[in-house]
Amino acid sequence: MAITAEDAAGGSAAGTGSARQGPASRGPGGRGLDWLGSHLRRLTAGRPTSELIGRPLFWLLLILFILVPCASSLVLAVSPAMFDQGSQWFTLTYLGQAFSGTTAIAITNSLWVSAAAAGLGLVIGFPIAWLTNRTTLPGRRFVPPSMWLVVLLPSWLPALGWERIVQADGVMYRLGLNWPWFTHLIMGPGGVVLLLGLRSVPFTYLAITAGLAGLGQEFEDAARVHGAGRAATLRLIWPMLAPAIWSALAIGFAEAISDFGVAATLAYNSNFTLATYQLYAAINNFPPSFPAASAMGALLVAAVAIPLFLQARALRGRSYRVLSGRTRQPVRRRLSTRGKVSAIGGMALFYFVALGVPGFGAVSASLLADYGGSFSISLVNFRALFHQADQFGPLERSLAYGVIVASVTVVGGFIAAWLLAQRREKSSRLLDFLLLAAVALPSVVFAAGYIFAFNLPIWSSLGIDLYQTTTLLVIAYIASSLPTNARVLVGAVSQLQPSLRDAARTHGAGELTAWARGVLPVVSRPLTMAWLLTFCGIFLELPISQLLYAPSNPPASVAIQDNLSNYHFGVGMAQSVFAVCIALVAVALVLGGYRLLAPAGWRRIGAAGRG
Amino acid sequence: MAESIAIRNAGKEYPGGSQALREVSLDVEPGTFLVLLGPSGSGKTTLLRCLAGIERVSEGQISIGGKVVASGAVHVPPERRNLSMVFQDYALWPHLRVRENVAFALRRQRISKSAATGKTLDMLKRVGLGALAERYPNELSGGEQQRVALARALVADTGLILCDEPLSNLDADLRERMRVEISSLVREAKATTVYITHDQAEAFALADQVGVLERGRLVQAGTPEEIYAKPATPFVARFTGLAGELEVRVLGRADGAVEVAPGTSARPLTVPAPMRIDAQSALMLVRPTAVSLCDAGNGDHHLAGTVADVAFRGRGYDHAIDVAGHGRLTGVFARTRADRGTMVGLRLDPAGCHIFPA
Repeated sequence: MAITAEDAAGGSAAGTGSARQGPASRGPGGRGLDWLGSHLRRLTAGRPTSELIGRPLFWLLLILFILVPCASSLVLAVSPAMFDQGSQWFTLTYLGQAFSGTTAIAITNSLWVSAAAAGLGLVIGFPIAWLTNRTTLPGRRFVPPSMWLVVLLPSWLPALGWERIVQADGVMYRLGLNWPWFTHLIMGPGGVVLLLGLRSVPFTYLAITAGLAGLGQEFEDAARVHGAGRAATLRLIWPMLAPAIWSALAIGFAEAISDFGVAATLAYNSNFTLATYQLYAAINNFPPSFPAASAMGALLVAAVAIPLFLQARALRGRSYRVLSGRTRQPVRRRLSTRGKVSAIGGMALFYFVALGVPGFGAVSASLLADYGGSFSISLVNFRALFHQADQFGPLERSLAYGVIVASVTVVGGFIAAWLLAQRREKSSRLLDFLLLAAVALPSVVFAAGYIFAFNLPIWSSLGIDLYQTTTLLVIAYIASSLPTNARVLVGAVSQLQPSLRDAARTHGAGELTAWARGVLPVVSRPLTMAWLLTFCGIFLELPISQLLYAPSNPPASVAIQDNLSNYHFGVGMAQSVFAVCIALVAVALVLGGYRLLAPAGWRRIGAAGRG
Repeated sequence: MAESIAIRNAGKEYPGGSQALREVSLDVEPGTFLVLLGPSGSGKTTLLRCLAGIERVSEGQISIGGKVVASGAVHVPPERRNLSMVFQDYALWPHLRVRENVAFALRRQRISKSAATGKTLDMLKRVGLGALAERYPNELSGGEQQRVALARALVADTGLILCDEPLSNLDADLRERMRVEISSLVREAKATTVYITHDQAEAFALADQVGVLERGRLVQAGTPEEIYAKPATPFVARFTGLAGELEVRVLGRADGAVEVAPGTSARPLTVPAPMRIDAQSALMLVRPTAVSLCDAGNGDHHLAGTVADVAFRGRGYDHAIDVAGHGRLTGVFARTRADRGTMVGLRLDPAGCHIFPA
């Protein structure tokens, strides 16, 4: 007999009438130890030691550096005494104050400007998405990377570029274009809406593209064969894109209302106060009012929830399940010559306004030798940049921060994405909620939370003095990037078959080798993209830098703002231009390095279909 | 060299308290082709993953080749168990070429690169993929990917090969061809094989030995013939193929057999009864091979019914027969066709009828 089930030898039933006795140690004397042992086993449930230690540590870091600051940024408004900022343990005074005076004006401004920007983003982004995905628009393959360029540039850069163009002593006037009406248009609510609207175009584009991808040709075919003309077909089809449209509006609104870059530059210089800048001012003015800042933060978070609520309400009870295995690839509509010219003209106008004008403004301002009335081109600002350590140092510093933060965040983001993808435990649902909440929190509110949480006397009494140190700034960068990074990676990680790692282990690879050779190469492309996304986001990050930088070590964005606010426009713009060049070189190096150095098999994954 | 397997009281509890395995005990001799058979959730995949070392047992002990690889404090990691595995989704690394996927399994042998290349290409030729060594997995058909996974499992000559439902993603025709290939290649390798499936036909076709799992317990183990001829429980009988179930009256008891009648007017028959039946009625589970059609007017039949459906099967016809008071018997084979609606008689072969308490 080759096989015997102990209780079922020769094909008889197992476990019926002949239950096995337990081991001898389970006698009365060993009961206490047995009980403890079985409970420990139940708790650990066969998990490896690395997981038993690693998971709690990961959670501890998340709680300390994401949950605590996020909660602090909101709780301080109602309980200043908890943070040593007053005597009241519970008060609604500060929330009440947020609805009056300049704060109320700032909140109102932020609300209507964000709504208008989201609408503008949709008006521009929808046609671009449709032209790119559904027509034979020439050069359409350049649209996705250029959208990334728009989204990766910090919002204060185009704002400064526009300012340099239209200000009273700006490039426009030096070129002899004496258009005060245009200055007033841009240096005010109109310019703010325009810049925030342009910034939300990539998000709209991505949301609508995703919606169009699921909208197969069969819906259009069905409409056409049942007698609908082109216009009637479009009227029939577009409601199917309602989730994408709402999503685009919600993201556009959330991005605009949480923006700090435009608020601190063009809006502030136009005497048009937005809520994020008001929050910053509450902390930075003397005397600072942390509870008032916290109240502003709570209102901003509540404002972010408005479009999400509207979206949920609009889509409630309706089904938009249009994507299935039978979905047919849509046919691209051939554009007529006139259509092509109009489409290309429109696209060119978008890129001109979004990238060209501010780019020209920044570059030309950096090349102007003085700030008098002449128009002489000079490299004096760039020379100052390279010969004055306090001008170039911030760029080097931010470069180092970007590399460190991106590298740490990609590792942490991958771990978080892996835990999210497991989807079998309550802890992964909790993690999902925590990361989603952190993504929704405006950066300026997040940074304020860091001040509230790590300025507490308890840290000093423990001998941990993190406040106003580079360490805390870097930790805040990592903590603010990790939620987005995890969400970017979770799509790719969810598609990973756990069997890839198991297969490597069963065929002789150790734990680390199994990850390194069997799993990570499969997601090498998304990991690289996540690294770049984080690097670009951190390299010229403004709100967290502005609130948390160590006074003797300002990062690039802070140094640039300092130069501009001290009327060193030329050097400030030279710093900006050089910083963007560094970011572009870094992107080119990483992407080029990946293309040249990564094994062919790594590069194939995710690139299928491109021939 | 083929490895033996000894499993003692193995249990597995997942976080959250779900008990995937309960007190499973099993001995497998070297060179045996063991098929673990059971429905979804029966614990067969968990047992296989515990053998592989991908999962840890919560209780009990597993030994491979006489060496304890899993018990309370011991957990030998998968890479040190010297086994190989064919995964349900094949788990081919998409960034590696076919030859690199296969050669991966030779890393632990620490042989020279040229020797590894030689062994890899030899194995690929054996599975009929010599010409596709430079391709990537996504450039292969489902059957070809299956063969790569098989080649990877065979190339290192491990003493134990584990197969996790490797045919479940293939269409019916390819499935049958691959079954034959797996059977012959694995037996050529002379390794011990543990193969899991929920398909009883596949299990019986492949196995030297079959272990049937139900809700985490091993409920029966034996040769395919033993399992089919003497199912230990109604679950095993049902899972290994029935024409139907009949509630029968017990007319008499003899040593190891009972006389039963399927209906009030039906002719009685005497069937083996391995367990004691004390009640007046019992449950009789009938294999398809135990039912044959006859003329309804002939008094020689045990039951009569109406043909509900008939399906041509090449060598003859499968019938579904509605029997008044007993429901439907399916898979009743006859060389000649009985049309739908026809009254037919049914003769039962006691060897294919299994009695259990009602």
